Amino acid sequence: MTDLTHPGYVRPARRATRRAGAVPGSGIGQGGLALVLLLPSLIILALFTYGPLLQLGWDSLQIRQGAGAGGATVFAGLANYEAVLADPSFRRALINNLIFAIVTLVPSLGLALVFAMALARSSRLNSALRSMLFFPVLVPLVAAASLFLFIFLPGVGLLDHYLGRLVANPPNWLGDPDIALLSIAGVTIWKNAGYYMLFFLAGLQSVPPESYEAAHLDGATPWQRLRYVTLPYLKPTIAFVAVIALLNIVTQVDHVFVLTKGGPSEATNLVLFYIYQQAVESYDVGRASAATVLSLLALLALTFASLGTLERAFGGRAA
Amino acid sequence: MTLTRRTALGAAFAASLLGGAALAQAPTEIELFFPVPVDGQLARDMNAMIKEFNDKHPAIKATAVFTGSYDETLIKTRAAMKAGKPPAAVIMSANFITDLKIENEVSSLDALIAKDGSTNEKFMGQFWPALRGNAVLDGSVYAVPFHNSTPLLYINADHFKEAGLDPKKPPQTWGELVETAKKLTKREGDKVTRWGLSIPGNYDYLGWMVTALTMSNGGRYYNEDFAGEVYYDTPSMLGAVTFWNDLIQKHKVTPGGVVAGPAVTTSFLAGQSAMMLLSTGSLTHVLNNAKFPVEVGFVPKNVRNAVAIGGASLIIPAGVEGARRDAAWTMIKWMTGPEKSGWWSRATGYFAPNMAAYDTAEMKEYLAKRPQAQVAVNQLVHARPWFATFKTVPVRKALEDEVQAVLSGKKSPKEALVAAQKAADEILAPFNKETSLRNF
Repeated sequence: MTDLTHPGYVRPARRATRRAGAVPGSGIGQGGLALVLLLPSLIILALFTYGPLLQLGWDSLQIRQGAGAGGATVFAGLANYEAVLADPSFRRALINNLIFAIVTLVPSLGLALVFAMALARSSRLNSALRSMLFFPVLVPLVAAASLFLFIFLPGVGLLDHYLGRLVANPPNWLGDPDIALLSIAGVTIWKNAGYYMLFFLAGLQSVPPESYEAAHLDGATPWQRLRYVTLPYLKPTIAFVAVIALLNIVTQVDHVFVLTKGGPSEATNLVLFYIYQQAVESYDVGRASAATVLSLLALLALTFASLGTLERAFGGRAA
Repeated sequence: MTLTRRTALGAAFAASLLGGAALAQAPTEIELFFPVPVDGQLARDMNAMIKEFNDKHPAIKATAVFTGSYDETLIKTRAAMKAGKPPAAVIMSANFITDLKIENEVSSLDALIAKDGSTNEKFMGQFWPALRGNAVLDGSVYAVPFHNSTPLLYINADHFKEAGLDPKKPPQTWGELVETAKKLTKREGDKVTRWGLSIPGNYDYLGWMVTALTMSNGGRYYNEDFAGEVYYDTPSMLGAVTFWNDLIQKHKVTPGGVVAGPAVTTSFLAGQSAMMLLSTGSLTHVLNNAKFPVEVGFVPKNVRNAVAIGGASLIIPAGVEGARRDAAWTMIKWMTGPEKSGWWSRATGYFAPNMAAYDTAEMKEYLAKRPQAQVAVNQLVHARPWFATFKTVPVRKALEDEVQAVLSGKKSPKEALVAAQKAADEILAPFNKETSLRNF
């Protein structure tokens, strides 16, 4: 993982890809060998990834033939997509996801950076603190959410127990539609900040000490050192962590299941949870599939965009 | 050592071969999907029950498969049916059966009942009348009630005495409930240190509570005879939601926002709520864990005493045929008979669906020791079927999302119910198009 942040990492890899691309033209034997070598993973991918993807695409174009037809379906074109896009619950989930992404991403990255800079120097105390901050990463998200179910309990929970001494009426953390999403974001930040800290710790190792010395000699303030020395060196790491964090936000809803089930009043309904609701609660596989295809497309677009950013970040440093 | 062991193994193998030959037929293997909606002890009790069944029925080998919550049990049953391997029997949330019937996923039990020389009326006559509505659909029996519950008013007797009230006389009307809750609520300046009454408002529980209040207000919630209608935007439900809203906003005796079921129980057990509305299914848990005397009462009424049932029934999914079907039926009858019904009730706190269970000596002894359970049984006379429509869960959620907005002070009850009715009607529209609004 540390090597990913190394400036020279991407370039050779890209060259290697280009060379590999030239192989099939050079001889069928070699191509055949490559195919044979790839076959095991190809079979597994086909069975568990591409196959289901095709099935998903097909299901998203089907519509149930009404009640009593025993689950028979007919081809319906893009009707499911239209229904999903017109569904206010889907739009609500989309907006919730955007808000959730912003209020989770920015603080967790910021905290991770602060932790990493505070604990960058290796000492016995620092490594103990690092382990402590990393600890939430080791707790499975479902277990963490169950813990927070207790922490957030109105009146008797751990949070209200202490907060109650300072504030007269602490908010209903999971039961108030204005606050529930923020509470969920809080759990996510608590869970992930330690993980991102690791990447930043690794990234900080690549900042040459001479740069700091030079900055010091020039009389740079701590803020200027951060702004003009640390952050530019960390740019690739930040880009990388941002992509990981974004994917985590879209693909993890375990805590929503445990804490709020999307409520109250759909305030914590995220896109992935919406898909679950369509498939399970409404028993509408077509709509669930359409919503899945839409979110997969969004994820793909996001990944390509961020990979582009990543390459630029790495490339920019090397040039 | 090895030699003797090998000989022993060989002997055992030979014996099993012989035994296999001696047995004319292998036992019919069936599996039962069962959810555990309350605490963990239930899974062990279920395995004990199935073991006893197998011991008494050598021709059948039943396996109990734990399938999570009610919702998860529905998902897993549907997944198993899609894979072509439906379980022989399932303990299914009682209000999912209408939906399963509409989707042709549950089989009618009429033929099995007739084969026993009984009639539908005689067979269902064993069970409390309130439970029949969710089991008999369009004159056919689709499910056999297994364990059931109703909402109940729980009371902290110490708090009552402290406020000069008699815990043996719980509030019976909405007016009395408000007055009692006011006396029980404790404040320090702006801060409420003890709530008069807590009501769970999370998904599923909320719908059930609105039903209880609506029915107590003379209303119906849904059309018991037709799966395409709900009565959200009606005076009786408006009164119910307004009452709940007033408890929060006007009288300030109930916490605002959504408080989930477990949080309500915890708050009651911690002495932070003097009263709560909760399921009879939690009775054993609450009585075992409360450090103070607990009394219970009917859900207070405005127009009449009425509550909806909850709980689960045994079904045979569509596609279970032949010997497996007969074996499943044998098991279902055994599990819902008076003796087992009573045993399960005492183990869990749910009430026994089979009325004859209450004539057994064990049950009489149990109720003498737990008079609170007797109150729960007494309320059964006033119980009614549980909401069950086309797409029960989304239709219920359409109401719950709106009422949650009321509880959080974001919408007025009228606004919320109009919006809920509109959303529910949209979900029900495809069903109505094929049934009530079909073109001829």
